[in-house]
Amino acid sequence: MSLVDLQSWLLREGIRDDLDVITRLTVRMEIDNLAADPAIPSVATIDWPRLLLAGSILARSEERTDQEAALRIATAVISLKDNQALKDAGAVLLGKLSNFRAIALATDRKLLSADLDARLGVALRLEAQRREMDRSILVQSSGTWLQVNDFQKRFWTNAAGERWLSASAPTASGKTFLVLQWLIDQVIAGETQVAVYLAPTRALVSEIETNLKDLLGKTEQVEVSSLPLSDKYKAARTGGSRVILVFTQERLHLLANVLGDAFLIDLLIVDEAHKIGDNQRGVILQDAVERATRANPRLKAVFISPATQNPEELLTDAPLGVQTVTVDSDTTTVLQNLIVATQVPRKSKLWNLTLRRQGSTLPIGILQLASTPEGLKKRLAFIAAAAGEKGGTLVYTNGAGEAEEVADLISQLVPKLECIDPELSQLAELARKGVHHDFRLAPLVESGVAFHYGNMPSLIRQEIERLFRSGKIRFLVCTSTLIEGVNLSCRTIVVRGPRKGKGHPMEPHDFWNLAGRAGRWGDEFQGNIICIDPEDTRAWPSGVPNRARYPIKRESDAVLEFGNGMLDYLSKRRLSDMSSLDDMDKYEQVSAYLLATFMRLGSISVAGLAKRHDKGLISKLDEALDALVAQIEIDVDLAARHPGVSAIGLQRLLEAFRAYAGDVENLLPAEVASNDSYDRFVTIMGRINEHLFPAFTPAGRIRLYALIVLKWLKGFSLAKIIRDSIEWHQEAGRSFRLPELIRGTMELVEQIARFKAPKYLSAYMDVLNLYLREIGRDDLVDEGLDVGTQLEFGISSKTLLSLMELGLSRMSAVSLYEKIARDDLSKEGCTAWIMERVGQFQAMDIPTIIIREVRDRLTLPSDLAT
Amino acid sequence: MPAKPISLGSMHFAKRGDAVAYLKDMLHRYDVGDRVNANDAVILRAALEHHPNAAKKIGCGITDFSVRTADFGTKCFWVNRSDGTTEKFSITGSIHGS
Repeated sequence: MSLVDLQSWLLREGIRDDLDVITRLTVRMEIDNLAADPAIPSVATIDWPRLLLAGSILARSEERTDQEAALRIATAVISLKDNQALKDAGAVLLGKLSNFRAIALATDRKLLSADLDARLGVALRLEAQRREMDRSILVQSSGTWLQVNDFQKRFWTNAAGERWLSASAPTASGKTFLVLQWLIDQVIAGETQVAVYLAPTRALVSEIETNLKDLLGKTEQVEVSSLPLSDKYKAARTGGSRVILVFTQERLHLLANVLGDAFLIDLLIVDEAHKIGDNQRGVILQDAVERATRANPRLKAVFISPATQNPEELLTDAPLGVQTVTVDSDTTTVLQNLIVATQVPRKSKLWNLTLRRQGSTLPIGILQLASTPEGLKKRLAFIAAAAGEKGGTLVYTNGAGEAEEVADLISQLVPKLECIDPELSQLAELARKGVHHDFRLAPLVESGVAFHYGNMPSLIRQEIERLFRSGKIRFLVCTSTLIEGVNLSCRTIVVRGPRKGKGHPMEPHDFWNLAGRAGRWGDEFQGNIICIDPEDTRAWPSGVPNRARYPIKRESDAVLEFGNGMLDYLSKRRLSDMSSLDDMDKYEQVSAYLLATFMRLGSISVAGLAKRHDKGLISKLDEALDALVAQIEIDVDLAARHPGVSAIGLQRLLEAFRAYAGDVENLLPAEVASNDSYDRFVTIMGRINEHLFPAFTPAGRIRLYALIVLKWLKGFSLAKIIRDSIEWHQEAGRSFRLPELIRGTMELVEQIARFKAPKYLSAYMDVLNLYLREIGRDDLVDEGLDVGTQLEFGISSKTLLSLMELGLSRMSAVSLYEKIARDDLSKEGCTAWIMERVGQFQAMDIPTIIIREVRDRLTLPSDLAT
Repeated sequence: MPAKPISLGSMHFAKRGDAVAYLKDMLHRYDVGDRVNANDAVILRAALEHHPNAAKKIGCGITDFSVRTADFGTKCFWVNRSDGTTEKFSITGSIHGS
């Protein structure tokens, strides 16, 4: 019998019964409020030495199911037995699986006595030590050795040199931590002067920025920034502190625009790289990678993605001559229990829990709910509150409004806390002062429950995530934002009929991207995914999905596969009237990319994408693009500055400027302080819609959009924008619901002021400047801070910019700016202002979390800031 | 009722209605948020001087004029004063005194 046959026999027959028993027992330990079940066998029946031997045989397999069984055996013996020798054997088995964090966890929890090595025989000790050495890496910058798992080791080894690397591993593999260590090593001990870490969401950007700053501590050798400004870049290039810039793809383009020909980065890390397939922003990411590569053909690129099918796909456009390597892992570090919950017939408070495994199921027990769950929201809330009472429980909902309601229901069921933790009170204070006095989040967090969605201010969201990680927030109700790039894992995730965005049922790979977050490696031995009503086809149209890995496909490739759709779009895009354009969301961004590529290369047949598509289609596209380019005078450099904005749109806008009969000064945005500013934005947005692209729709909302953009630029806080909106509704006698008004305002800020407006207004300004130079009105060209950057950060004064350059979040910066009289302070001026008054911040009604951020960012001694 | 002529700067209108039409045409040449150009501003200044509340509308002095949003999605002329304040005024109000 071969080793593979033996491993397969063990699972199929050899240890099947014992494995079932320990699986039921270990899963039952995870779930709260299970009814007692006399039918559950006891551990006494288990032949542990035999099971451990089988575990060590299975641990040698590469197969996920074999590794999981070995991990289950080790976990079971450590948590269920009180025999020291058997527990030690379990720890050795974990060592064989290179799961050193689980050994440390067992020791921390006192499940395992400390000083394991001393208890092992000489042979085992030598073997364990050899394994630890094999599984260690040397961090050059600090001179320390780091214990790692197999994936981390392979990443570290393969990341050396000039090769492009694409690494894929499930969520709880310690990817981010290791990549950040490696990045710091490259910048401190390597040749890298300028590194860019691309993260596809602002939430992830601020998380990574914070992590990097924490890891770097007080070193002055490396600067970390998420602002697309040139000063830190230039300092690094001229021998000053090296710099790690953490950006979204849009911000990388903003920096490249500011730097022009000087733009050169040495190392590019792309996190959540599978998002190159995202609708509308995927192609912007692809363009960012290509732009960085064009500027530096010797760029080193590293792509990271969670459990993807084909990580090598990201390497297919590496420059000629650059070697590539893929590091792929499907190893489990934490047990993941997929559990389905079905109501016991006619007993609405009792729910059968069943574990699903590959090809089989296992009954776990009956969950008892405290109240009758009438309606779907209550069902989700009550099951989560019962099963996940221990905490670390994540509940998935299909929208922000639903998240708030489910969180509210859960908060009514969880035991009241005797006293409110100070950190929870501080978060509640920030929610009240930073958003609105009656923002629902505040009372919820005081009971250890929170909700979380995309458009929330990052300071609040990050604090929610931090307190959920630390266990103080026990239930977190989230939306699809979580699968859009937030690094957050949990102990238990509860889900019913998940949708992605508005309406579409989740694809299996999206579901598993979410479900994969169950299990915190190093904090828990197991993670649980509880799926409610698995047989209900309205909730789960294709059933609860089987485990699936994410297929990487570039947005540009996916759109080109529609073939004629793109040809049709390109031909209609030639017309100056855009009213006949269909499917703009699908085609506009990619068509803009194709057009810019054609303008640069003269044909897309020589572009990287050509090798992935039918030659006939490529030549038809070339013809269609050629016809468009014939109408375009805008040069390729200008088009390249605005990814996702079509060069034909830029051309139409230029023509509109030329045809404009009025005073040319009226084409410029008015000063934000001017009385004309709001109306000027209304007109400019209308002009953008008519000539460039219908970005601000429906047209009836333009006035609202212009108002938000203006307030955002003026540096108003979110709380003030919300207060103003409430006042407006009250004065106009319009009815409103506060939670909706709050969410609606947050959405407008994020989607309009911080996303669409910067993208299209900065293109508008670039074309306008071109026109102004054309007519000899260079005097009207403003060389100051680009409007795109101003909008992304919501700043139009020097003081606010300086505060953000000090590393403060916008919420903190604005909160201080409301107290600072001068609008022209430099970084030094702001620091001096803060130093002078920091002792009075609390008396000035500044929320504690903001004071803490100020203290951390300015590295002020803690006694100064209290 | 006989037609009343009116002069606005160098412009002479046989009927007040003609002046209103002229100013309305002017208004429609502008988008909201536009600053009114110097030539048109001369006419507007003259028109505003006809306003029954001219002194109050002019206040501390006129810097220039803008076109901005008025109620119900319409647009109208606004007078910008040297102290930074601003106020809208109606064309018919200025010409017909109501």
